[in-house]
Amino acid sequence: MSESNKFIFKKYDANVSINRRTAIITIAKAGLFSILGARLAYLQIVDKDKYEILSDNNRITHRLIEPQRGIIYDLQGKPLAINRQRYEVVIIREETSDYIKSIENLKKILPDVNIDTEKLYSEIKKTKKFIPIKVLDDLSWDQFSRLNANIHKVDGLYPQIGFKRYYTSGQSHSHIIGYTAPLDKKEKDTNTLADLSSAKSGKLGIEKAKDVSLRGKLGNKNVEVNANGREIRELDRYESIHGENIQLTIDSDLQDYCYKSLNDQSGCVAVTNIKTGEFYALVSSPSYDPNLFSKSISSEKWNSLTENIYKPLINKSISSQYPPGSTIKPFVALAALENGVSEKREVYCNGKHEIKDTSLESGIKTFHCWKEEGHGNVNMNEALKVSCDVYFYQISREIGINKIAEVCKRFGFGQNVFNSFYEEKKGIVPSKNWKLESIGTPWMVGETLSAGIGQGYFLTTSAQLSLALGQLINGGEKIIPTIVMDKNKDVQKNQKISLNPKHLAIIKKGLEDATNTQGGTSFRSRIPGNLKMAGKTGTSQVRVISSQEREEGLKKNNELPWEKRDHGLFIGYGPINNPQYAVSVIIEHGGSGSGAAAPVASKIFKYLFDNKLNLKSKSISNV
Amino acid sequence: MFSESKAELTIFDKLRSINYFLLFLICTIFFIGTLALYSISNGNFSEWPIKHLQRFILGLIIFFIVALLDLKIIFRFAYLIFIASIAALIILLIVGDEINGAKRWISFAGFSLQPSEFVKYTLILALAKYFHSMEDYHENFISKLIIPSFIVIIPVAFVVIQPDLGTALVIFLGGVSVIWISGLNYKYFISGILGFILSLPILWQYLKEYQKDRVFTFFNPERDPLGNGYHITQSKIALGSGGIFGKGYMEGTQSHLNFLPEMQTDFIFTMFGEEFGFIGSIILILLYMALIGIAIRMALTSKSLFSKFLSLGVCSVFFIYVFVNIGMVTGLLPVVGVPLPFISYGGSSMLAVMFGFGLLTNCYINYNTTLTKGSFI
Repeated sequence: MSESNKFIFKKYDANVSINRRTAIITIAKAGLFSILGARLAYLQIVDKDKYEILSDNNRITHRLIEPQRGIIYDLQGKPLAINRQRYEVVIIREETSDYIKSIENLKKILPDVNIDTEKLYSEIKKTKKFIPIKVLDDLSWDQFSRLNANIHKVDGLYPQIGFKRYYTSGQSHSHIIGYTAPLDKKEKDTNTLADLSSAKSGKLGIEKAKDVSLRGKLGNKNVEVNANGREIRELDRYESIHGENIQLTIDSDLQDYCYKSLNDQSGCVAVTNIKTGEFYALVSSPSYDPNLFSKSISSEKWNSLTENIYKPLINKSISSQYPPGSTIKPFVALAALENGVSEKREVYCNGKHEIKDTSLESGIKTFHCWKEEGHGNVNMNEALKVSCDVYFYQISREIGINKIAEVCKRFGFGQNVFNSFYEEKKGIVPSKNWKLESIGTPWMVGETLSAGIGQGYFLTTSAQLSLALGQLINGGEKIIPTIVMDKNKDVQKNQKISLNPKHLAIIKKGLEDATNTQGGTSFRSRIPGNLKMAGKTGTSQVRVISSQEREEGLKKNNELPWEKRDHGLFIGYGPINNPQYAVSVIIEHGGSGSGAAAPVASKIFKYLFDNKLNLKSKSISNV
Repeated sequence: MFSESKAELTIFDKLRSINYFLLFLICTIFFIGTLALYSISNGNFSEWPIKHLQRFILGLIIFFIVALLDLKIIFRFAYLIFIASIAALIILLIVGDEINGAKRWISFAGFSLQPSEFVKYTLILALAKYFHSMEDYHENFISKLIIPSFIVIIPVAFVVIQPDLGTALVIFLGGVSVIWISGLNYKYFISGILGFILSLPILWQYLKEYQKDRVFTFFNPERDPLGNGYHITQSKIALGSGGIFGKGYMEGTQSHLNFLPEMQTDFIFTMFGEEFGFIGSIILILLYMALIGIAIRMALTSKSLFSKFLSLGVCSVFFIYVFVNIGMVTGLLPVVGVPLPFISYGGSSMLAVMFGFGLLTNCYINYNTTLTKGSFI
């Protein structure tokens, strides 16, 4: 072997070579270790702050705390809408290796609950693995504690406690209180609770009208979570703020009583304190279970509610508009008095009133009195007492529609009673301008006659009627209609509605006689004794009676299908010596005011006189 | 066959000759590992630490047995041991337990062993005996380069197809380090590195999808923060947030809130660095450097080439373990499954490393023993 370069190894002492190579490799190792040290210095010293933030982001999660919704109380401080603990179970897929097994075990632990596993499994599959999915809602305490005792058998399932709205007050309060339900799409951008998965908002009634005050404010907490998102410990907490408690002017007992008095007929009642404007009852019938919407409602159940001809979901006392019929007559009479018609003025009623109408073949249009044979000679007092239509045709024609409209508007017709309910309707007070603007044709004389007896274009609501009557009977004190007690409300005593006391006395007398003297339209519903009521019946047609029909003989209401029968209305006040309350009752298609509405109003007044004279609120701070 | 210059050492001579400072450093690092595992178990000694301790004791037994064996016997059976370990790799491919798509473990009498861990050392044994036994240091490049290359490539190939790239890398680098020390010309190393770089595109074709993903992730961990990048991203967050002094023992939020995966095995250094900070990490690295430094000094005292190659090979393998592991968890190297010796929870690696230090100590005890050129057996 030569020592030429073609050989791979030079001839040398092997040990020297090994030592040299070892020295090189050792230096290399030290160098590589230094790189590790430098890398650690970079991570742990230079970039420390950056990684500290990342580490905190990892471990700290912001969680929201659900606020409790404000409690709704009645006038007496009785809770109507409260919050109950809701026991629910959610599943987080990533925290169980076998969610089907967990659900099967859950079924064994709670054999008494129904789980739609097919639907649930498909939802679990669709949802991201770390998002909790509701498995069971609204468990009983017994079920909840049974589950908690066996929690180790159901990986990935978490029992949780939240709040649910519970209405203690039954069906009679459903419409006025309303209900809550999960947020709509639109609300998700604006509602301050929108970040909360369980957020709900009021959908109707007070729950909607006062939603902003009732909902409270979200709290939040920072919690340390592990990589699976499970809460390890709480780091800090900002409590949620309980929603504002609200006291209604509704007297729960009275509300109940009114609802029962309607006896499942389709209709509504409003009871107003004529001095304060507080509404003590605002009832709509029939109703629905107010707790129905706390769970998801079946489409079958929903359809049965929406398709029901009695419209149980609608708050008829503010949302259903009816022609006032003869209940408008006190206001028409006032308009007549203010426009120079004497109370002594007599009109002869032969059962009909004819006007020229060139559009008709006969050239004459006939307006009938409800009493076919006529009332004979009637003055204003008599006309109010017996509700003579011909009298009001005559005086309406004399004063004209605009004068009638002016008086009606002055007392609150055609305007919202409360401004807070989106579901409220404001009715219509027809006038020449109104017709031109909304229909586009000029006013016709015949329409004045219809309006004079509260028919035609006239529309009002139960709440409006009782407010208008209240403001009339209290002597023209403007009252602010309230449904929610406001501690800070300024009592504005000064506002007056223009009203001549002499005129008022005439009208009051007419209404008192209508109820308390023989031959009055509501005489059968009078309340004997010291405390009396007075009022005006109304029967409003929902159909046009053709002359042919009239010739064949008018059908009695009970021969007609329900939805073609006349509405029965009554407005009244009492006690007549020192009036406190105005009541309006409307029975949809009840046939007549005297037959259907006045007896209900009578019962309510009797109840008020017996139980609720000088009604005062109890402050809720003491309950 | 053997030519002896000295009388046989007695067992007491041997025990006295053991480098107890080396053993002390090993025990210190092991103790740190136990502390770390105790933290990971949230103070539950019976979860990880107890098994770690049991394995260490078993490892110590292996260490002493191997250290006290007659060096000549080790020399004599070096090839056989290597062949046996290769056989184990082959058997593994047939009957091994498949975990996460890889056949790495072989179950035997209740134990689960990873033969590839031992191959790191048996390869060194074989190479040491080969270079020791060469007739002449001026051999041509076939016996100097080609044959050793085959000795290295065979076990590496079997480990690659398990597949276990991390271990294959350690085996390969361990073997290359011995070839380096044997004195192979620099040119071959340089051309080898160049050849490797040039063949990368071809090798790339043979990588499995997840392996390619890991390489991608190494260059850009943020590209898949919840998948492959998760390990390394969370690991860096843990180390970085530990800062200079650390979050305190058992106070590491990343590790205790389970943001760190595989904490007890390959990523244990991360957890240690989070809780003990830069200072703790550097102390641990210094301990490893001290251990390797002492081991290299011990290796150089040996008179026989076999002992030198073997001891230096053991040092290199140990260094590669430490460097690849820490490099990996700090984001300097791609994530390949390499444990941190004495600290990571894992039986095979513990026993294998103790086996290696047993060999090193044996060479140290018998530094004066000379060995003839060996035959195959």
